[in-house]
Amino acid sequence: MSALSRRPWIAGLVLVAALLAAPFVLSMYGVIILTEILTMSLFAMSFNLLFGYTGLLSFGQAGFFGAGGYFAVLTLLHGPQSLWAALAAAMLGSALLALAIGWFCVRLDEIYFAILTLGFGMMLFTVAHNWRSVTGGSDGLGSFSIPELSLFGAQLTLFNPKNFYFLVLFVVVLGVLLLLRVVGSPFGLLLKATRENSNRVAFVGANVRSVRLFAFVVAGALAGVGGALFALFNRIASPEMLHWAFSGKAVLMTILGGSGVFLGPAVGAAIFFVLEHVITAFTTNWMIFLGAILVVLVLLFPKGVLGSALDLAGRSRRGRNP
Amino acid sequence: MEGFLANVLNGLSWGMLLFLISMGLTTVFGVMGVLNFAHGSLFMLGAYLCMQFVRWVGSFWVGLLLGPPLVAVLSVLLERFLLRPLYGRDVSFQLLLTFGVMLFLDDGVRLIWGAAYHVVNPPQILSGVIPLFSQTYPVYRLFLVILGPLVGIALWVFFAFTRWGKILRAAAMDRQMAEIVGVRVPLLFTAVFAFGAWLAALGGALAAPHQSVGPAMGERIIIESFIVVVIGGMGSFPGAFVGALILGFLNSFGTTLMPDVQMALPYILLSVVLLTRPRGIFGEEG
Amino acid sequence: MKKRWVVGLLVIGLVLMIAGSGIAADKPVKIGFVYIMSGPFATYGQFAKQGAELAIDEINQAGGINGGKVEAFFEDSTGKPDVGIRVIRKLVYENGVDVVMGLDSSGVASAVAPVMKELKTPLIITHAATPDVTGTNCNRYTFRISLNINQNIAMASTIAADMKAKTWTTAGPDYSFGHQSWEYFQKYLAKKKPDALFLPTADVAFAPAAATDFSAYVTKIMNSKADGVLISLWGGNLIDFVRQAGDLGFFDGKREILMTLGAATEVLYALKEKMPEGLWVGTRYWFQANDTPLNKAFVDAYFKRFNVYPSYNAHGAYGAVKTYAAAAAKAKSVDKEKIVDALEGLSIELPVGKITIRPEDHQAVTDGVWGKTAADPRMPIRILKPIRAFAGKDITPPVGETGCTMK
Repeated sequence: MSALSRRPWIAGLVLVAALLAAPFVLSMYGVIILTEILTMSLFAMSFNLLFGYTGLLSFGQAGFFGAGGYFAVLTLLHGPQSLWAALAAAMLGSALLALAIGWFCVRLDEIYFAILTLGFGMMLFTVAHNWRSVTGGSDGLGSFSIPELSLFGAQLTLFNPKNFYFLVLFVVVLGVLLLLRVVGSPFGLLLKATRENSNRVAFVGANVRSVRLFAFVVAGALAGVGGALFALFNRIASPEMLHWAFSGKAVLMTILGGSGVFLGPAVGAAIFFVLEHVITAFTTNWMIFLGAILVVLVLLFPKGVLGSALDLAGRSRRGRNP
Repeated sequence: MEGFLANVLNGLSWGMLLFLISMGLTTVFGVMGVLNFAHGSLFMLGAYLCMQFVRWVGSFWVGLLLGPPLVAVLSVLLERFLLRPLYGRDVSFQLLLTFGVMLFLDDGVRLIWGAAYHVVNPPQILSGVIPLFSQTYPVYRLFLVILGPLVGIALWVFFAFTRWGKILRAAAMDRQMAEIVGVRVPLLFTAVFAFGAWLAALGGALAAPHQSVGPAMGERIIIESFIVVVIGGMGSFPGAFVGALILGFLNSFGTTLMPDVQMALPYILLSVVLLTRPRGIFGEEG
Repeated sequence: MKKRWVVGLLVIGLVLMIAGSGIAADKPVKIGFVYIMSGPFATYGQFAKQGAELAIDEINQAGGINGGKVEAFFEDSTGKPDVGIRVIRKLVYENGVDVVMGLDSSGVASAVAPVMKELKTPLIITHAATPDVTGTNCNRYTFRISLNINQNIAMASTIAADMKAKTWTTAGPDYSFGHQSWEYFQKYLAKKKPDALFLPTADVAFAPAAATDFSAYVTKIMNSKADGVLISLWGGNLIDFVRQAGDLGFFDGKREILMTLGAATEVLYALKEKMPEGLWVGTRYWFQANDTPLNKAFVDAYFKRFNVYPSYNAHGAYGAVKTYAAAAAKAKSVDKEKIVDALEGLSIELPVGKITIRPEDHQAVTDGVWGKTAADPRMPIRILKPIRAFAGKDITPPVGETGCTMK
């Protein structure tokens, strides 16, 4: 036990090892679900950079997620037939969008921030939905071929969901490491400080807006990468990816898992998909369950499943009374 | 000429429906500081209940009369047991809770009434059309155009001139002071929330003959009413009225004149208002 | 502590494995159906499900397909392309279906068709009409037994050429189906009536599929220069449109109207007398269009069981199941590749008439029907009278024109 608390990255290694082994143990459909979990984990964790760490609730992250998807598909349709180019385009494009939009949004606080991000997200949705000549309109952009992946000299075709899974795992792990770097750095401390008391942060000389904008851009860029993976995996970029209801999914998963823990949103994503799979086996009305669970969590377990679990584990470890 | 007039009337009828719903949302926000994501679902419930009463009893007026109070009762339970525990906490949590309630209600409606769309006919007196130059216009929509402002005026009178109205406004302005002078704020909040829900459901029942009743009704209207409330000013009635009209006209004229961007116009307006005058057109300095 | 983590992860893995594994028996024949089961088009999915169930029960009672009982799995595409892909993956990987049928939305069909190549599973489309999936995007695994836009608009333009309207506009859903219907209508009518005029894109009416208030669009059309309107709205959209347009005086006779999918019984049942009489409407199948014993048996069986007359979507699902059974009999197997080979060139008698699946583009050559709405006191819905029938070979463009280069 003490070994773990001194070196928490051991748990991370075990997790990654398990994820690497998963396709050899799971059924094909299980691999597909896991791919979805990984992709949405990246999205939710990028959202949480803003929510959990910076204290900014954004209902427009889907705008960057979806934009990333479109940038990736557009690259494959009109540009080089390279997956890395597509992912890079998604990341860069979403980052630029986030820079432009964030510049406006970070001027506002709390609810106004949430509503403004929602507004911008929906503007992006309108562009995707109406600009038929470029984005394919409400039908989305599909009919692109996934190029083979050249990795270490080997050519991998990605039609097989298992191969695609490894690509997703690789990219998501990279994204998570980037996030880890950001929140663990002094900048990360600054982020948390602005969440707690932005006035004091301003007093010590930091520019709150710039701090928030930087977080916004990082979140947007990673959301874009997630969106690219999503669009490539589903073979289509569709306007729904930019809708505020899709942003709601990231919010949901983060609350489910716990916004106060780094991996909380990822756990939330896993719970979301497993729940969906289990509940839809006997009823199509699974949103009722999700809504009820969310209500219960907000009321009783605001730290989410992982957050509360860690809390419990912490208490029992230290022998404190609950 | 007819086109212009028809667009004006279309904009007005949709605007008035939006006004009714936004009034509830803005009152709840103004007095309680809660932005209720589930407001659209309450609107939808009002429509469904009205439809159900029409099926049972055959009368739209019964549905209009009985549906909204039922929704108000439901909202009392919501407020008392789900929302109240969160008052001290971060605003985000209230938003999240009502988001969860929205998911629950939207799917609940699907569970009870099915996923298909339903058609509700306007009541006999209000069905039919009147001539409009060389075209016609449905009576029911004109009814909406007239009813909206009437309800608005009635509410404004209530808030401005009656004792209860003044108490509510006082509680909105300064919760602590209101408690100190003896106002039972928790009870007041429940009452306001129920009132907001009643208005939303009333809007829903009125909307049922105007458009098809379906499970996605709530989703669309919640965003539009958010925008109305923000543009008009949170807590302001004249704001809700003006905001709703603006959105109604953007909808009707925008479709004719600017079909490509029409969908984005409300969001563009929202962003402009938030960035230049966040308190809204009629909002007070917060 | 490390051990707890390992055990925990093993447990998670086990749970995922159990959840993910589908236990597929090889005896039953599994058919996956994907339709829109929610929202404004939900009744279409419902009618299709009924048609499918009718066909499956008939087949199972006669011994099943190649001796195996038929099992059906129904999924809701919700009309969204990414959901469509997701549920089809679920059907193929988790449920292990041998074939996928259905698709209401052209948008979903366009997205899904290329994926069938990866899944190496045949798809029989029964409703979605975009010409692309048997045209520019055709592939080995995608088939369609129902009328597509090409064929339906060929009929529409023939009727339009005889009308006195000179300037045409359109009211359609804002996705590929609406846009392509309009595009092909302009193309075909221009050939048959060179002096016909068409309003520019900014002046026509494309409404988002989620719209419920069409008054702005109705007003726009009524106040435009057009004296002819091609309405490609369908489902809940069409129901709302007709109700609201009727109130606004749209059907006052000042404009010629063509409703490409107006004779869907789902729509006719919902509208009842609100559907005006004397309108030219199209359909993929009309239950009164022919008197063959096969059609009569189908309509009687469907009405007896569900108490409504079968729509074209019901017929589509019914026909697809029967077509698949015929292909399986021809191939003496349900192996996916053999089924694909057997479907090519297959001819089969369905209630709509005889259809033949062209091997070059996998589109069925099928007869079509338009008619004028009329009241009939014996019937609960509007019927078609007169009916104008078109032979399949007259309305189906040659493979060279479709853009399909499979063969």
